[in-house]
Amino acid sequence: MSPSQLPTRSEYLKTWRGGGGKVCAVFPAQYPKELLWAHEVLPMEVWDPPQEPARATGHLQPYICSVVRQGLELLLAGGMDEVGAILFPHTCDSLQNLASLVADYLEPPAPSLFFYNPKAPFAAAAQSFYVARLQALDEELSLIFGPAPEGALEEALEWSRRLAGLYARAYARRAAGELKAGAAEFYAVLRGGEYLHPRDYVPLLEAWLERASATEQGRGAALLMSGVLPGPPDLLETLDDLGLRVMHDDLISMSRRLLYPPPEAGDPYEALARSFLAMPPCSTRGSSLAERLAWLKKLARESGAQGVVFSVVKFCEPELFDLPELRRGLKQAGLPSLVLEVDVNQEVGGQAATRLEAFGEMLS
Amino acid sequence: MSLSAKARMQFMKDLGFPAMLALAKKTRGKRRPRQANPDFGPPLKCAGRLKEIMTRHYYLSRFAPGARPVAWVTSGAPVELLRAFDFYTMYPENHGALCGAQKMGPELCEAAEQEGYSPDLCSYARVDLGHFFSGKTPAGKLPKPDLLFCSNNICQTVVYWYKVLAHRLNIPLVLFDTPFNYGEINDTDIAYMKEQLLEMIPVLEKVSGKAFDLERLLKLAELSKSASQLWGQCLETMRARPAPMTIFDAFIHLAPVVSLRGLPVARDYYEILLAELTQRVAQGIGAITNEKKRLMWDNIAVWYKVRDFSELFAARGMNFVAATYTNAWAETIQHLDMSHPWESLAKTYSLVILNNNLEHRLKLMEKMVGEYAVDGLVVHSARSCKPYSLGQYDLKRLLSQRLGIPAVVIEADITDYRFFSEEQALTRLEAFFEALEAA
Repeated sequence: MSPSQLPTRSEYLKTWRGGGGKVCAVFPAQYPKELLWAHEVLPMEVWDPPQEPARATGHLQPYICSVVRQGLELLLAGGMDEVGAILFPHTCDSLQNLASLVADYLEPPAPSLFFYNPKAPFAAAAQSFYVARLQALDEELSLIFGPAPEGALEEALEWSRRLAGLYARAYARRAAGELKAGAAEFYAVLRGGEYLHPRDYVPLLEAWLERASATEQGRGAALLMSGVLPGPPDLLETLDDLGLRVMHDDLISMSRRLLYPPPEAGDPYEALARSFLAMPPCSTRGSSLAERLAWLKKLARESGAQGVVFSVVKFCEPELFDLPELRRGLKQAGLPSLVLEVDVNQEVGGQAATRLEAFGEMLS
Repeated sequence: MSLSAKARMQFMKDLGFPAMLALAKKTRGKRRPRQANPDFGPPLKCAGRLKEIMTRHYYLSRFAPGARPVAWVTSGAPVELLRAFDFYTMYPENHGALCGAQKMGPELCEAAEQEGYSPDLCSYARVDLGHFFSGKTPAGKLPKPDLLFCSNNICQTVVYWYKVLAHRLNIPLVLFDTPFNYGEINDTDIAYMKEQLLEMIPVLEKVSGKAFDLERLLKLAELSKSASQLWGQCLETMRARPAPMTIFDAFIHLAPVVSLRGLPVARDYYEILLAELTQRVAQGIGAITNEKKRLMWDNIAVWYKVRDFSELFAARGMNFVAATYTNAWAETIQHLDMSHPWESLAKTYSLVILNNNLEHRLKLMEKMVGEYAVDGLVVHSARSCKPYSLGQYDLKRLLSQRLGIPAVVIEADITDYRFFSEEQALTRLEAFFEALEAA
């Protein structure tokens, strides 16, 4: 399978709905996807829809980030008209208020669901709180979509375990230079998980891993990417064109959510809570800078990355606050870094390409 | 804590500061008094007392390290718990407001930006970090903290900001995580918050070296409740016509309820302020001389423009009589119940305006418009504050439609005036004045 063989989001949704499938639009970032799968609901993640933000500007100030802006634009443009619910995890101040704005005043096409994640450093009470939140969400999903069939949650957790294993394999192979795929291909394939049901996605991912597994000879400088999203698309293409190798990432939409410790056997809610609390450190979950720095250094060390590229969405407070201390700590550890401030779906342009090229040359 | 540091602090409290104050009064006596602005009524007499209290607080803070444990605290955190361990508390947001009012915002923000902090980040945070990096402050010197105490009931930003301080200073950060109220608060949330408060106790005992005393906490919480209730009553005097003070006064006079909540000095101060305001109401003394229109303010103050705005509006006979911002330190205090201290602390701090959905805010604003007989609304879209600002365009539209009052949005920032366009703001305000005068 190549990325071009992945069904597009619109094709897949059409087929899914055509078969009577239910859909829930999900805003960033961490959420218990297993609960949705258990209710036979397809989560359709809303990170960077390619709309021109025209309608959203009437509701949002210019200093609100493009993830929020584009997400609202998709909703206002009718892109969520056929979903059964809209889920808003509590990720940051802007998404928190967007959730309230949509639910309270914008007459959304489907009921809004809210999911508050506890923030780090996690109190001992966080586990039981998270379990109670899962149960509450489960009940709300039952009211909207009907109860989950017997054993469906356990089955969803099994899908989650399989996916976690595949993600871990993809990342490990790339870090070891055993994956013949550039950044554009790698992320195009892995982002399939944002809208494909694991029943369809797991075989595709397995096939891709099989095909793409080959010793990749080192070419340009080896990088670690951090930030929000693996993009914009032309950024990944630029990296590939320049021969720069992304060995690992610390992106909110990617490894910080995908490389989770899979839920274990036993009570499914307790298992999901333990999984959430043990996820990699993330600014949006309140992880300390020491944790984040140690994590970045570990990823760089294990993947052989020589430097870090931070691709940060403009106005993204959680990421922008962490940035200076992370860069300082990385520098002390001998890891240079480069910051690209981007808007989702906006081309990074020639200047960014020049900076990346210079950064790559410096690392080589 | 060292005995010599304690003795030094006590000396400064008993003798040093009073002597300094006496000297300052003598010097001030020689200054020419500022010419009175005919648009305003007589100034509040207790403004002098307020200045004295806040100056004393900042001055004595210099002598706190070594004498008492020092904590930097966010404005919405349950400070009563810290007071039970005798922490000397500093409020970076209050310091940010002070720097903003002194027009030091850009200078301090730039100091943070030079360290890599984006100009798109909250300017309270940039001012504080700028002060941290440069040591510059109009308050002389701020004590380094032993502990950071933060609640995300006002925003997530404070968590990101305090994380930076905790990392740089290598000190504990205690977070009170308050689940956002998308709907009604529920038992799960309250239980989670209660557990967190209980978990904080060993950390606070370790840092302060003091054992927890529940009785002391209850007494302090009672003091805190009194101060907040009195503050609420002070604000309620502005229902009178003419209102005895303006919201621009209230922006300044809220400093004790923010920074000294839980101490006798805050309660005592609001007793004096309330007495003065009540007397002004009885005598028909207004904050402005010709109160024709009554306005409400939404969001934090534009600190570097408080005086200019107050004069601009007063000159047109317009008085701000209500604000969602100043109301925030009074609106939930009724939940504080000493028979259930932990649950009620959780409710008191979790139900504040910014930890609630927009519908809650709209209803609160509608209620305030009615209670304070508001004729128009000024919405400050504050670049620094996403939770206060995202949704304001719709709130403004809905309030205008439902209540038929004119409303205006001005784009500004709380302390960083590089993001404020005077011309643009004035153009919008002129149109607003016209609509208001025609109404």
